[in-house]
Amino acid sequence: MTTHRFKTLLLAGVLAPATLLVTGCQTTSETRTIDATGPQALNTSNINSQDWANAADQLVGSLLSGGALDKAPVQPAVLAVDRIINNTQLNIDTDLLIKKIRVALSQTGKVAVTNTMGLGERAVVASEAAELDEMTTGKKAKVIVPNFTLYGKLIQQTDRSNGVTQNTYSFQMSLVNVKNGLTVWEDERQIAKQTKKSTVGW
Amino acid sequence: MKTSRHLIAGPVLTAGLLALLPGCATNVNTVERAQSQATPHYVSDKRVVTDNTLARTIRVNSINQATVSGELLKIQAEVENLKSDLRSVRYKFEWIDRDGMAVNSPTDGWKILNFSGRETLRISTVATSPAAVDFVLKFSELK
Repeated sequence: MTTHRFKTLLLAGVLAPATLLVTGCQTTSETRTIDATGPQALNTSNINSQDWANAADQLVGSLLSGGALDKAPVQPAVLAVDRIINNTQLNIDTDLLIKKIRVALSQTGKVAVTNTMGLGERAVVASEAAELDEMTTGKKAKVIVPNFTLYGKLIQQTDRSNGVTQNTYSFQMSLVNVKNGLTVWEDERQIAKQTKKSTVGW
Repeated sequence: MKTSRHLIAGPVLTAGLLALLPGCATNVNTVERAQSQATPHYVSDKRVVTDNTLARTIRVNSINQATVSGELLKIQAEVENLKSDLRSVRYKFEWIDRDGMAVNSPTDGWKILNFSGRETLRISTVATSPAAVDFVLKFSELK
């Protein structure tokens, strides 16, 4: 083998893998539609769509199993959604939890959610419509006092040990009887997520 | 001498391995009332297995039902990890109404179930619609 031929082979041997590496770095974006709560949903250290659905399912199941809503003087019980305090480090819209709970409770037929008070949903148009109705009919709109208020709190606790970070999210919820201020149901569900950082990388 | 060394090495190695085994196990021991006071309403079920590996990993021992808040169906399944180590699977409940139509809920979706070795867990859910009369419980491997 001549020296020239050897150099050519050597160059080819170096260039071929390098070319492969360069093309390997090229990324093409690919988007696919998935089920938000399905197996393909991304699992991160934050609260994902599966976690919201899971927390809502467990809290609704607990509330319905507890039977507190059945003791309302009227059926369906009138519910006002109170504050949901977000004490996590995440900038999240608490409606991701509350809306699921509202919809699920409404589906049961056991609850009618009032929009005239509480922070669950802004009812600007409904208020304006009520005012207009008052003006045209001369009759004061009848506001139904809720039987219960629902309030909750989201808490995040972060623990670290041996390169593993654990975020424990607590979903706390309470149902209060407005007549006497007594808590008639409350529950807490937790979702813990562990993340191990890769030791390889720069 | 060589033979006697072999004779000693065998039991020592076996003892060492046996000593290590309990350390690796994550199995769960349980104690419960000998004569159960509960009278669950068991549901006879029909099973379709398309993943044999999963079927060898977890087993549904029983399914029972109750009604809560008057007319809402509550389903509970007792699920057992057949393996002697930590296992995780996904599960999902689906609801069907009297006409065979799916009843959707915003709280539907796959959920994760984490087992210790040979542990038995109970998973439950409540139908959010009084129209729900039947259910389908699905399991999937967690990849």
